[in-house]
Amino acid sequence: MPYGQKSKLRAREKRRQARSDTHSVKGAQTTTAEEEGSPSSSSPPSRDSPESSPAAAGIPQEPPRVQPITTATVVDASGTGASGGAEGQDEGGPSSSAAPAPTERSQRDPVTRRVSTLLQFLLHKYKMKEPITKAEMLKIVNKRYKEHFSDILRRATEHMELVFGLDLKEVDSTGQSYTIVSKLEITKEENLSGGRGFPKTRLLMPLLGIIILNGNRATEDEIWEFLSFLGIYDGKRHFMLGDPRRLITRDIVKETYLEYQEVPNSYPPRYEFLWGPRAHAEANEEKVLEFLVKINDTDPRAFQALYEETWVDEAKRA
Amino acid sequence: VPSSMQCGTRRMGVMTDVHRRFLQLLMTHGVLEEQAVKRLQKHCYKVHDCNATVEKLEDFINNINSVLESLCIEVKKGVTEDDGRPIYALVNLATTSVSKMASDFAENELDLFRKALELIIDSESGFASSTNILNLVDQLKGKKMRKKEAEQVLQKFVQNKWLIEKEGEFTLHSRAILEMEQYIRATYPDSVKMCNICHSLLIQGQSCETCGIRMHLPCVAKYFRSSSEPRCPHCNDCWPHEIPEIFNPEKEREAGTSSSNKKSLRSRQH
Repeated sequence: MPYGQKSKLRAREKRRQARSDTHSVKGAQTTTAEEEGSPSSSSPPSRDSPESSPAAAGIPQEPPRVQPITTATVVDASGTGASGGAEGQDEGGPSSSAAPAPTERSQRDPVTRRVSTLLQFLLHKYKMKEPITKAEMLKIVNKRYKEHFSDILRRATEHMELVFGLDLKEVDSTGQSYTIVSKLEITKEENLSGGRGFPKTRLLMPLLGIIILNGNRATEDEIWEFLSFLGIYDGKRHFMLGDPRRLITRDIVKETYLEYQEVPNSYPPRYEFLWGPRAHAEANEEKVLEFLVKINDTDPRAFQALYEETWVDEAKRA
Repeated sequence: VPSSMQCGTRRMGVMTDVHRRFLQLLMTHGVLEEQAVKRLQKHCYKVHDCNATVEKLEDFINNINSVLESLCIEVKKGVTEDDGRPIYALVNLATTSVSKMASDFAENELDLFRKALELIIDSESGFASSTNILNLVDQLKGKKMRKKEAEQVLQKFVQNKWLIEKEGEFTLHSRAILEMEQYIRATYPDSVKMCNICHSLLIQGQSCETCGIRMHLPCVAKYFRSSSEPRCPHCNDCWPHEIPEIFNPEKEREAGTSSSNKKSLRSRQH
């Protein structure tokens, strides 16, 4: 056999060996049996896991499950085979974990490629702070892979959780609309530096508070009355917020933090505000209530000064 | 996670909340300068793990990238073409077309970007004039777009950090160069320009008037740093352009100057 071929064959053997030893790894706190990290429709039948279902070539199967591992091990997937495990790691942090190891074949596997594409789409939606519909996700995954959709979605959300600390949450019970939320708490500095988008304008918190105070809905008039205490008036351009009407009835609504709807049976038509699905998913109710307590204790005349003070603070820190 | 824990692992890293928070914030900011990235890293350490030593940024990012690799995503480092500032962005690899922007923009908007991109790549200066771009509005795929609308779309590109505008002309934002370099080199192999020094994609730069080789402004600055008589590395003729000053983080910190005070460069030297 020509020299080049022999070493290629050896390399291929090594890789196959590595694949049969490679196993994915999760943090100690996860108790459910975890997904094999590098599933592919043509995974080698020589897997040792007792629950593994041999994958027939070309027919994607439920990937073999591995036993939960109590210490996080980090796997070197560069084809050195043998033990497949590297150093055990102290499980000090409940959230430390390693991402599943890739194999060469899985990266070319169309289903796995779709997982990447869907993940990138979800991350993009998170960046843009836009809601996600099931229809959009199906489109990204492509009709051809419709049967694998729930598998692809599950794998993408697992990666999202492990690598980015983000969760895909259903926004309503129909299961058609989703939003992405951070599992990590957003710190005050992050909010102020605008790196998070919630609440960038600092207006959202008071609005959410007022809506709760009013029994979970507030008419437009009630909102404007409250905002006037903060020096914000309908039709008057605000030095930081710009056009307030556009901000609250359009921009914030578009991001689904608030809902703006017609009061039923009102004539002439009047409008009201409610918490939007995203506020329900993201808003820290405790913080909103804290804010309410603070303003309850404050003389309404002092509101505006207090409020504008926070703007100045923010500018100084930026 | 102390890097000493990773001594047995060559390719895989370990993700903790420090890394996750870092990625979340980097993503929401889009593209960040190196100083801001370092501050971001420190912030993430502070939130989760006050006592750990902050890992060197390069190692920190390599660690993260080893985990992201299987997802075809990468924290990529680049350098701004006009003043050599190091920048970082989270980029998708492996997508091979302008569809990187696809979910943001409509078909005709994407096509407008493509047209602008082609004009930018073909130009000598790396800039395409607003007029020239708008004149192509009739050739766009998808819904018919008027010039007025196209002007707004161009502004949208600027806001989303795909294009930069300078005096009515447009060039690629460093974020776009980071994300799309592979795509551009693959799609326009004949018209694309490369830097003679760093061998990566060149949009703005200086060129030798004799032999035509090109160099990025920061590459010029570095290459000719200590020469009194700069000469073309290829044909040895006198280098005909002013050697630019590039971003020096040490100098800036000492002087306490904000970036707006920096000497702004005439970036079109051709």
